[in-house]
Amino acid sequence: MITLVTGGTKCGKSSYAEKILDSFTGQKYYIATMNPVGDDAEAIIARHVQMRCGKNYVTVERFRDIGETDIPKGSGVLLECVGNLCANEMFVGMEILHPADKIVTGIKQLSEKTAELVIVTNEVGSDGNDYTPDTMAYIRQMAFINRRIAEFADNVVECVYGIPLLRKGKLI
Amino acid sequence: MKMIIGGAYQGKIGCAVRLFGKSEENMVNGNVCDFEEVFTADCIKSYHKMIARLIAQGVDPVQFTKRLCETNKDVLVIMDEIGCGIVPLVKAERVRREAVGRCGCLIAAASDTVIRVICGIPDYIKGGPDEG
Repeated sequence: MITLVTGGTKCGKSSYAEKILDSFTGQKYYIATMNPVGDDAEAIIARHVQMRCGKNYVTVERFRDIGETDIPKGSGVLLECVGNLCANEMFVGMEILHPADKIVTGIKQLSEKTAELVIVTNEVGSDGNDYTPDTMAYIRQMAFINRRIAEFADNVVECVYGIPLLRKGKLI
Repeated sequence: MKMIIGGAYQGKIGCAVRLFGKSEENMVNGNVCDFEEVFTADCIKSYHKMIARLIAQGVDPVQFTKRLCETNKDVLVIMDEIGCGIVPLVKAERVRREAVGRCGCLIAAASDTVIRVICGIPDYIKGGPDEG
């Protein structure tokens, strides 16, 4: 089963994503895409580590090349999150790449190894602000990735202030 | 507790008037009110603005919101959804945005009814028109 969980900042996406995997009895992997640089990143990581504490996840850091993640077949995976993965693949040194196809293909490859895959992504396109062309390109890449994942995901859920709203498939 | 959320100017106050018989004049305005007023308010509007003011005054908005949920169980809280955009470059803006998210989750969890308004149309995302 593949579930895409989307929503804005601090909307309960991670909690819902973990809830899906609570009943998974096989080995669970947490694929962390956030590069742990800066105060904010450390605080976010510390909070998420605490949330998963005692839930038997093996943490794998994977900032790029998501399709090459080395996990055994039949695993349960929580991938968090597409927003960071996209930024890591897109802004490399001075270069601006367009990684949407690579990321979608990579996540599909990953899904071939998982019995239960939960993908956490972000809604980044609804604040109505005009940004620099690079940031607008990021918003566009994210929207493209989210739409493509939603096509092959069994379930798509949007979290709003902690309330999961069904967009495709089933809620747990 | 009840909650009405949505983007700016989507008709949240109109829904509060139409669906719950509230009057806009009697609403406590989170943008300007005394902090203590919310604990006895019948209806609070712009609670997301209140969160920004709490932070500016050095008050922990999450603790404050917990107290609101515990003490004013019949209040209707109206607030914007602000988290679906690009993470701001300025740290204070990130802190404010995340606090609005966390406080919104607390209020939604404590509410029997949560309505999300878009284009003036109420969507019951928790509870229903006949409940609560």
